[in-house]
Amino acid sequence: MQTWFGKKASGGSPPPSPRKDRSGLRVGIPKVLNVWSTSQFWVGFLRDLGIESENIVFSSDTSEEQGREFGKGRGTVDCCYPVKSISGHYGELIFGQKKKINIILSPMIYSLPSFMRGHVSETLACTRVMAGPENIKAGFMKESDVFADNGIKYASPFLSMAEPEVVPKQMYDCLKDIFGVDLAECEHAVEAGYRELRAFNKKMRDASREIMAWCARENKPCVLVLGRPYHMDPGIGHEIESDLQAHGYPIVWLQYLPIDDDLMNWIFGEEIKAKKIRSALDISDVWTSSNSSNTNEILWGAKVAARFPWITCVLRLSSYECGMDQPTYTPTQKIVEAAGTLFFKFGDLDSTKPAGSIRIRIETIVHYLAKYSDQIIQKKLVLLPPDCPLLAGKEKTLAAVASNEK
Amino acid sequence: MATAVQHYTSYKARPFTREQRDTTTILFGGLTWKHERLVQGVFNNLNYKAKPLPNITRADLDAGKELIDVGACCPTIFTTGSLVNFLKTEVAENGKQKTLDDYVFLTAGACGPCRFGQYHESYEMALDGMGLKDFRLFLLAQDQLDQAPEKGGGLEINMPLSLGIVWAILCGDMLTDMEYQTRPYEVNPGETDRVMKESADYLFEVFQKRPIKGKKWGLLAWHFLSSYFADALRVVRKKFDAIEVDRLQVKPKIKITGEFWLQTHEGDGNYNIKHWLEQEGSEVLPPPVAVWLGYLLHTPIWRLQKKAVVDRKVKTKIAMVRGMEKLYVGTYNRFRKALGNVPYELPDQEELKNLASPFFHYELRGGEGHMLVGKALHAHLHKHANMTCELSPYSCMPNTMSQGAMANVQGRYPELLYAPIEIKGDAEVHALSRCQMILTEAKKRAQSEYVEAMARTGMTVEKIRRIEEKRPALKKATYRIPHMGYASTAANYVMHLAGAKAAV
Repeated sequence: MQTWFGKKASGGSPPPSPRKDRSGLRVGIPKVLNVWSTSQFWVGFLRDLGIESENIVFSSDTSEEQGREFGKGRGTVDCCYPVKSISGHYGELIFGQKKKINIILSPMIYSLPSFMRGHVSETLACTRVMAGPENIKAGFMKESDVFADNGIKYASPFLSMAEPEVVPKQMYDCLKDIFGVDLAECEHAVEAGYRELRAFNKKMRDASREIMAWCARENKPCVLVLGRPYHMDPGIGHEIESDLQAHGYPIVWLQYLPIDDDLMNWIFGEEIKAKKIRSALDISDVWTSSNSSNTNEILWGAKVAARFPWITCVLRLSSYECGMDQPTYTPTQKIVEAAGTLFFKFGDLDSTKPAGSIRIRIETIVHYLAKYSDQIIQKKLVLLPPDCPLLAGKEKTLAAVASNEK
Repeated sequence: MATAVQHYTSYKARPFTREQRDTTTILFGGLTWKHERLVQGVFNNLNYKAKPLPNITRADLDAGKELIDVGACCPTIFTTGSLVNFLKTEVAENGKQKTLDDYVFLTAGACGPCRFGQYHESYEMALDGMGLKDFRLFLLAQDQLDQAPEKGGGLEINMPLSLGIVWAILCGDMLTDMEYQTRPYEVNPGETDRVMKESADYLFEVFQKRPIKGKKWGLLAWHFLSSYFADALRVVRKKFDAIEVDRLQVKPKIKITGEFWLQTHEGDGNYNIKHWLEQEGSEVLPPPVAVWLGYLLHTPIWRLQKKAVVDRKVKTKIAMVRGMEKLYVGTYNRFRKALGNVPYELPDQEELKNLASPFFHYELRGGEGHMLVGKALHAHLHKHANMTCELSPYSCMPNTMSQGAMANVQGRYPELLYAPIEIKGDAEVHALSRCQMILTEAKKRAQSEYVEAMARTGMTVEKIRRIEEKRPALKKATYRIPHMGYASTAANYVMHLAGAKAAV
């Protein structure tokens, strides 16, 4: 049996055997909060345990209907909508499935495997986000155990995902009886989960790089979304960025910005040389208490937006009552606007989509993008070295000529 | 390459140099006036000029709201406003430059992902808004006794300072426990407050004159072993001896829990709820700051246990933390003993964890973590209180989660009286009326306990008065009433005098 201290092959070690037959188990995962940035980990983890792909069921996107139909009367406190909405997701997995779910897996993610780890103090999840499952569970247990009443096992592992070395034990402690797993199986499955997540993140970053390279080649603007991972949920972020995309502006999300060395050196190299920052992912110049993973990433994304020429506009999304976002409102805006990048905040997002006001604001944003993008691109281009790694040889020369002319 | 753009950078405090110590006053706050008075003594002891910010008022809420981003929790707004109003007054009286030169502000930092660790961002924004960006602000990490000197070396957050502050907090807790157990029963109104003031002033002197024996480990050993502080508390006990109390007054015991700042605070910041509860005929169990420090001390054990698979030195590290914890609790108990064991014991952190575990995971950090659930159950199951009043700021991130989990607790323990009070700072009537509804039931329970104790023991008020005449020590504030299985003091008093066995 493989020991914890044993070195593992990068391609993944063979699965421990014999493995229990879990092909008939159906596992439901509420698609909420930081599951939005770790979903592929869960897919990889469960598949490695022998759960069939079709038996890994994520709940639907958040919607008011979902909350009304499945979560009504289950709320225990008034808090931000991304947490409050989880009741609907739990309810949907319990009551809304044609084919019955056997296990609900709702992780309490304490820390995140952020790309900024090592460059910041900590990469912790928001206190509400990590504790959300305990809060929501209470609404399904206060009168009777609704999970048990419906023949469902409830599993909520506490996970320090920023520390992969402790995750197998954390998984094992929670799941040993529910899935009948041993520690070696957990180790293997956790490894598979991280591998899957890394591969997915790379694919997404490569896709963002392609978009940004296209913008650089065509000298066209793109828009960066600064939000938390769950703002990708159409019921939480209300697809504001899609409305803007419909006007022809490419959208990139900060979570999947490319972090390749060549690009990072181009954007932050001068500041590193001048010892203003230690690395491209260092945010100590703009933020002192770098404990919260998503907050750290938002502030870093704001820095990129302030410098990368073809990001000419930032959409800041924030949910009503978000205590993590609250202290960042002004710093983020100041960071983004320092070099003239446009900044538009959609704050206090809640359950209802304010479609009318969003449409009016989108029109305003489109107007500003059309009017000022060229100026913003040129203003920021002259602040950077001429050799943009997103451009090929001839294009680089053209860009350099353009910068010099300016 | 053009360099015309000045990218945004966050606040960086200008240096506070050693030479400026004699002329610069360190401002601080966030605790009760008693704790702050003793902490002031610690600063003075190390030749710093220091001053607590004035106690929080409603006007601070307005001042804070004006200058920081919307959506902040009320402790952030109140504490920011408090600093703002103090500086405004100073600027008006002494001018901007003198204010910038004469003061620095020291505040607690780091609390993982909770907004508490980011309060300084709001302070900085407020300073910027006031045109005082050059005002100096420093952070005191809660989990490091020995930090690097702050820029300029004017403020050294080292062992002498950190240990002094911790010991001041423990002594402040002792005073607070004595105060809240005495005042509701005092025969001569106002006497407790007078003695409290005298005691705090006396202990201020004690901390100001603290001998500094050793630098690091030597100093730590001296703090644990010396009788210096216990002797001082014996003097305080004598002061409390003089207060006459009547413990036959039937009052429900209300345990206060909640977000750290709100539960600790005594003032407009939490609608003066502790004093209000006393005025409404209750006895309040105040939350000792020492429980929070105990939590900070104990949690590394849980983290280390998780790492046992990958760290072979875990056992030694855990043993070291446990040793430190024993010394800490031992010191607290020595202080209690010096006051006749009247102040309450610290709850066992493992027990709090185990009680909370079915409802709230003990590793969930931020705010008080699982402790709010654990403390409510601890008080209820051990019959230490008739009711738990949990004070949470509106939009508090961690507290709303454990409050939600309390729905599950109440489902399992429907007899637990629990009043979660959301505090915004400007909705006093709403909050107090909500509390009063549950308080009414707590009063009934205290009365039932008293009636039951009288019936079980066959005691009468006349009999008890006769016993008191024969044993005048019973009427002293420092006479300890043992816990006899009831929550309220009057019922325990009756049982104690009757020599009855503890109620089940």
